[in-house]
Amino acid sequence: MAAENVNGATRTHPPVLEVRGLKIGLPANADRATAVRDVNFKVGAGEILCLVGESGSGKSVIAQSVMGLLPNALPVQKGQILLQGEDITHAPLSRLRELRATRMSMIFQEPMTALNPVMTCGDQIDEVLREHSPMSAEQRREKVLSIINEVLLPDPERMVASYPHQLSGGQRQRIMIAMALVLDPVLLIADEPTTALDVTTQAQILKLVLDLQAGHGTGVLFITHDFGVVAEIAQRVAVLRLGDMVEIGDKEQVLRRPQHAYTRMLMGSVPTLRTEERPQSASNAAVVLKVDSLAKTYKDKSWFGKTRIVHAAKEVNLEIRRGQTLGIVGESGSGKSTVARCIVRLVDPTSGSIKLGSDEIATIKTRALRPLRQRMQIIFQDPYRSLNPRMNVGQAMMEGPMNYGLSRDAARKKALELLGLVRMDASAMDRYPHQFSGGQRQRICIARALMMEPELLVADEAVSALDVSVQAQVLKLFEEIRERLQIAMLFITHDLRVASQVCDLLAVMSKGEVVEYGPAHQIFTNPQHEYTQALFAAAPGKHYSFGA
Amino acid sequence: MNTSAIKPKASASDLQSAVEDFEALSVEAATVVPQASAWQRVKANTGVRIAGIVMIFLLSIALLAPWLGTVDPSLFDPASRDLLPMQKGEITTLDGEWLPHQFYMGSDSFGRDIYSRVIYGTRVSLIVGAATALVALAFGIVLGLVAGFVRPLDGVLMRIMDGLMAIPAILIAIALVAMWRGSLLTVIIAIAIPEIPRVTRLVRSLVLTIREEPYVEAAISLGTPTWLVMLRHILPNCVAPLVVQGTFICAAGILTEAILSFLGVGLPPDIPTWGNVMAEGRAQFNQYPHNIFFPGIFLAVTVLAINILGDGLRDTLDPKMAKRG
Repeated sequence: MAAENVNGATRTHPPVLEVRGLKIGLPANADRATAVRDVNFKVGAGEILCLVGESGSGKSVIAQSVMGLLPNALPVQKGQILLQGEDITHAPLSRLRELRATRMSMIFQEPMTALNPVMTCGDQIDEVLREHSPMSAEQRREKVLSIINEVLLPDPERMVASYPHQLSGGQRQRIMIAMALVLDPVLLIADEPTTALDVTTQAQILKLVLDLQAGHGTGVLFITHDFGVVAEIAQRVAVLRLGDMVEIGDKEQVLRRPQHAYTRMLMGSVPTLRTEERPQSASNAAVVLKVDSLAKTYKDKSWFGKTRIVHAAKEVNLEIRRGQTLGIVGESGSGKSTVARCIVRLVDPTSGSIKLGSDEIATIKTRALRPLRQRMQIIFQDPYRSLNPRMNVGQAMMEGPMNYGLSRDAARKKALELLGLVRMDASAMDRYPHQFSGGQRQRICIARALMMEPELLVADEAVSALDVSVQAQVLKLFEEIRERLQIAMLFITHDLRVASQVCDLLAVMSKGEVVEYGPAHQIFTNPQHEYTQALFAAAPGKHYSFGA
Repeated sequence: MNTSAIKPKASASDLQSAVEDFEALSVEAATVVPQASAWQRVKANTGVRIAGIVMIFLLSIALLAPWLGTVDPSLFDPASRDLLPMQKGEITTLDGEWLPHQFYMGSDSFGRDIYSRVIYGTRVSLIVGAATALVALAFGIVLGLVAGFVRPLDGVLMRIMDGLMAIPAILIAIALVAMWRGSLLTVIIAIAIPEIPRVTRLVRSLVLTIREEPYVEAAISLGTPTWLVMLRHILPNCVAPLVVQGTFICAAGILTEAILSFLGVGLPPDIPTWGNVMAEGRAQFNQYPHNIFFPGIFLAVTVLAINILGDGLRDTLDPKMAKRG
């Protein structure tokens, strides 16, 4: 299955990492017998191999097995892991400790939790040197400063003295990279190092990894779920599905001529950056939502000291007509979720006007708001927390309409109908949320929102937590719903590809303000504002078109 | 990066069919793990099993007390004073009859049967423990929901609770019993009151966390009235930690009752409780240690069993609070 593709240039280096026939077990109560099985690959010096797969494919388990970080519940049952020819599969802890940081090192997804919050960044890098090198304090300090320089952090003296919480996410990841590379290891394992970062920061970090790797000749095992990132960074690509390596080969070959059906399905699921105008933009339909100079300010009052004021959103103007989808895109902290939550009145706006049809809801009292609530519904990001674990699907779906006086029987009938619409089996009614996968739960959430027959559907990062193949299905479902029910949709996302798939109109937000607003296809073909341009430029893998 | 070579699009229909193959390839469908239900997990826990057996044993002792070779625990006989365990003697019934009786745990200085008093004391202790936990939970849940949901009341309510927690629990209990005179009801209430702030704090913190959960926000969007949101969405998700907290209150309640009775400010001496038996044995501890030894063993085993039960429940029901293993 996972035959090594021997072709040309990459084969001239001796491999820094070779994994042969690796098989790692799972605990008895898991969904399958092995975490990974029969995995074979090599990483040559100066080579970047991307491990791609959806959640549960076993890609992180492979990384942990190389570093010797596997929990006891996941034993290596078969196979060999060779680091520069040395078999480290069952190496004793003392040997692994010698190898870590000096010959192989790892960076993680969440730099905030990977760094020690009570040590300065300088001390943390210094610790690596103290443990693994005979350098004097003076030499160590010089080395720390030089590596901080090398990862392009500004003001190294200040960085050395900073604690992790004083830095931004991107800066923290740079510190992690500095720590990993300070002793010039031959192998760097990067486990989703940019997943928690904003797209513009991600682009910078990817570039940094590429530059450093090329400079030091480090072999990199890069783990990601994002084909965009693969396109940016990989030299070779290995695709994992449920613990099996279904395909491995050079990037161009895998991305442009995928062999395995699963790889094709995955790549077909990645939304394309669509720039043509969508056909059914109804520009004369009734206005469902009109937002005028909406603002939300958070005041951080403390007993002593001065009040801190945060403008989460200011001067936001939006308009959505029936059958239209308005996308709000922006990075974390841009205020896009605040706007969504103000519109469905989960938070009270500070000022401005929100008109649902002809009803003003920005200032309305809670009691008067209740009858209006059924006209707007929201779907959240995390499908695992969006359903009450103690209520079965039927109860969850029937709750809303029954709040507004629909009889149990009628509500049940309607719930069954809508389960059909979101392609779920009627038997789901009596089951509890934990019996469903993330994608299925998100379908249930959509069905629950549709039970209310809303005029406005707000989707707050509703597909961001889903694996790419599931995301494609849910996006298709949104599209279908909009066509069939002619709902107005507000679609909040950080993912430009997703936005380009579903949105007629686009609002780009940055630091609480809408910096660009207009028809989506216009913004995608010709972004005006420099922030929008930067955002588009940072989108990974824009030179490849994946989707169908 | 090579920008010139745009992907020679594998024909559109090709990719489309690949997408439609989804069901066959879907990782999602394959990865839903049927989870063991909470009850199954609880049953599988060794601590819960052992402690459960002990508790069932104690409960049956309490229920079956009259049939376990006991006599009325208030009966005494001057001729049978200070007997050692397993000695035979006699006891005077209320009708003035003399009955021969085996004193399994000896007798006290009034000639009462310690075995009977300890067995009947199990009833009192279990009632006090369970009732204390229920009273403290009931008040704590109501106050905690109010504090977590009615924000203006939160500050006032929690400062009162802080004040209550600043006074040692045993002192509050002594003061309350002294005010009301000792009876089963007053002792239960006196022990429960100092526990209420702890439950209130727990419920409040749970409410504050759970009310931020998307499913609660979804319920609000669905127009569910606030009181229903509390009862239907928030309270059921507090149950696990509350059950755990309840067991600890139960154990603490049993201990506190014993302490109060031992100090002579608990239940009246004629009611057989472990604390009372120990209090009466105190003066003669050097000669007749069994007066304190046997009720002490029962007390220790009961409290230990309940605490182990609570630990087991915490590990299985409340994984967030579970000890790292």
